[in-house]
Amino acid sequence: MTESAAAKSGTLSGPSPGATEGPAAVPRVRRRDPVPLGAGICIAAVGSVVLAAMNGSYLGLTVTTGIGYAIVTVGMVLQLGYSRQLAFSQSVFMGLGAYGVGVLETKYGFSSLESLLAVIGLAAVAALLIGAVVTRAPGLALALATLLLPLFIYQLATYSNWLGSFSGINGVLPLLTGPDYTATLVESGIACAVLLGIAAAIVLRVIRSGVGLQLMAMAEDERLGESLGISLRQRRLEVFVLGSVLAAVGGAVIASVQGIVTPDVLSETAEITLLLMVFVSGRKSIAGVILGAIVIEYLTTSTSFISTNIGTIEGIALLVILIAEPDGVAGAVDRLLGRRTDQWGSALRSWGTAQLETRGIGSRGGGNGAGNAA
Amino acid sequence: MSQFLNLLVAGLTSGAIYGIFGACLAVWFRVCNVLNLAVGDFAMFGAIGTAWLVQNAGLPFIAGIVVDLAGVGLAAWLFDWVVLHQAFDRGRGARGIVGVFFYTFGLSLVLEGVARAWFGTDVWGAPSIWPGPALSVLDFHVQRAGILVIAVAIVSGLALWAYLRFTVSGRAASACGESTFGSRIVGIDNAKFRRWIFIGTAVLAALFGIVESPLSGFTYLSGPTISLIGTIAAGFASFRRPGRAVAIGLAIGVVESMLGGYVSSSYNDVLLYALLFGIIIFRPEVLGLGAEPA
Repeated sequence: MTESAAAKSGTLSGPSPGATEGPAAVPRVRRRDPVPLGAGICIAAVGSVVLAAMNGSYLGLTVTTGIGYAIVTVGMVLQLGYSRQLAFSQSVFMGLGAYGVGVLETKYGFSSLESLLAVIGLAAVAALLIGAVVTRAPGLALALATLLLPLFIYQLATYSNWLGSFSGINGVLPLLTGPDYTATLVESGIACAVLLGIAAAIVLRVIRSGVGLQLMAMAEDERLGESLGISLRQRRLEVFVLGSVLAAVGGAVIASVQGIVTPDVLSETAEITLLLMVFVSGRKSIAGVILGAIVIEYLTTSTSFISTNIGTIEGIALLVILIAEPDGVAGAVDRLLGRRTDQWGSALRSWGTAQLETRGIGSRGGGNGAGNAA
Repeated sequence: MSQFLNLLVAGLTSGAIYGIFGACLAVWFRVCNVLNLAVGDFAMFGAIGTAWLVQNAGLPFIAGIVVDLAGVGLAAWLFDWVVLHQAFDRGRGARGIVGVFFYTFGLSLVLEGVARAWFGTDVWGAPSIWPGPALSVLDFHVQRAGILVIAVAIVSGLALWAYLRFTVSGRAASACGESTFGSRIVGIDNAKFRRWIFIGTAVLAALFGIVESPLSGFTYLSGPTISLIGTIAAGFASFRRPGRAVAIGLAIGVVESMLGGYVSSSYNDVLLYALLFGIIIFRPEVLGLGAEPA
């Protein structure tokens, strides 16, 4: 099958005759897909309006922190939701982003934009190096190996005086600085919302492309993916790098919002919180994980009862979701909406049939059968 | 020489803890291909629950142990009935690698939350089963609880290994993990094996928590770390060999202790985790899970 033929057929393309190695050729999408860009702009716009309306309140600070987590979880949708790549390294890269901006800004005098760009580059290189090694391991071994990463990186951070030990690094700059605290918070929040929109657009673009189809095929059955000519290791690595870079950006955002980085960002607890944000809200839904991250961040800081019992609440929610709706709250909402739209469609068809029957051209209304033919 | 021996015993004691939890994980994984990430929380409930029953409810020590183990067994049965039965016998819920990790992960969160609400954030330790001062020979000292921990770990590991290897019931349990469908065809009740081995390993973990708690003490947050190291030990035993998991756990404990004694007492855990990470990454075949083609 040629590349253009594959593109026309809209299927996963296999290797061309004679080409027995390398990744499957990805069908090029000829027409421009407006959904990723549109979704990204919508997310950025809605986030900006909401944060501007909150006008630098404590709730606005919580929502902005939630947006930082949402950037991480959007990457996890690709890793965990679509590719079923169970890696427990997001908190490590979140920590890399947070400590990266902290160190660059407080020790080397970088501006917030420079440090963010440097962290993106650094995270990409680190993810490429680590990913090249860890993605060699099969599914369960990958999970096991990455389970160890947060353990020793967390301990390294707590022992390192250069990284501020248990106290961490104070004085991280906000993404944008306004004339006063309120303006700074609002402007930084809007910048975070824009970053979230970009992250969502990138992930959505990947999901809706031929690569996204390949990832779904791999997730369904790796042997199926291999038989289609997909380079499993290359795709795994790409997903790992993208997810890790987004985690680092999320970490940088969280550090800049809070103004401080502590080793907690690297801990197992942070990893658990991220996993819950993804699983409870719906690991295949970008909108779901964005809302989930913000809502869970809000709940953990809202009342003392919830913050004290958050573990129990999250555990029960996770078990209920896994049993009742493995695709999370977003999956349940999708199903309900689908059922409702099916009902509307059914009602519309019945109404249309009734109208045709009254005009004598329905399927059971006799006539010359032109209605049926139509 | 005495330093080496003291480090060796300390390593064997902590290694026995890793090993027994690895064995609990491995034996249940062998039956239903799910990791019991709540095994450390069952141990925590064993230790803290017994301490609470003795110190706050005024029960005699033995009665406290019995009531606590019965409570842990009941909690495990309840979880199996409410969650695992729905997921595996009725075919509902998440499957695949998500199911491998997250059912028991959810249970772990719930147990931690309940423990925090019930017992608070204090450090608890059950009374010692074998009270008395440390046994000493020249410069070589060993805690009595440490001897018990090592003995219980070795006996439990051997018992689990013998059960799976030499009994018909053990072979049937292994068959469930090899092929759920195939084992059903030949009349093996998968659900029964999954349930009873889950309850059995939960009670064993709780008993081990009681034996071990005089050494280190437990808080409501002690569970995940124990489960994590147990998972690593079980991983190096292909997640299916409880006897080997105990041996690997002992080895991990000894290496950790030696690193602490001879290299760095601050960075021994970091070095240990880095070493294990390196082994998994560069030699994934040691896990026995089969590396995929590059």
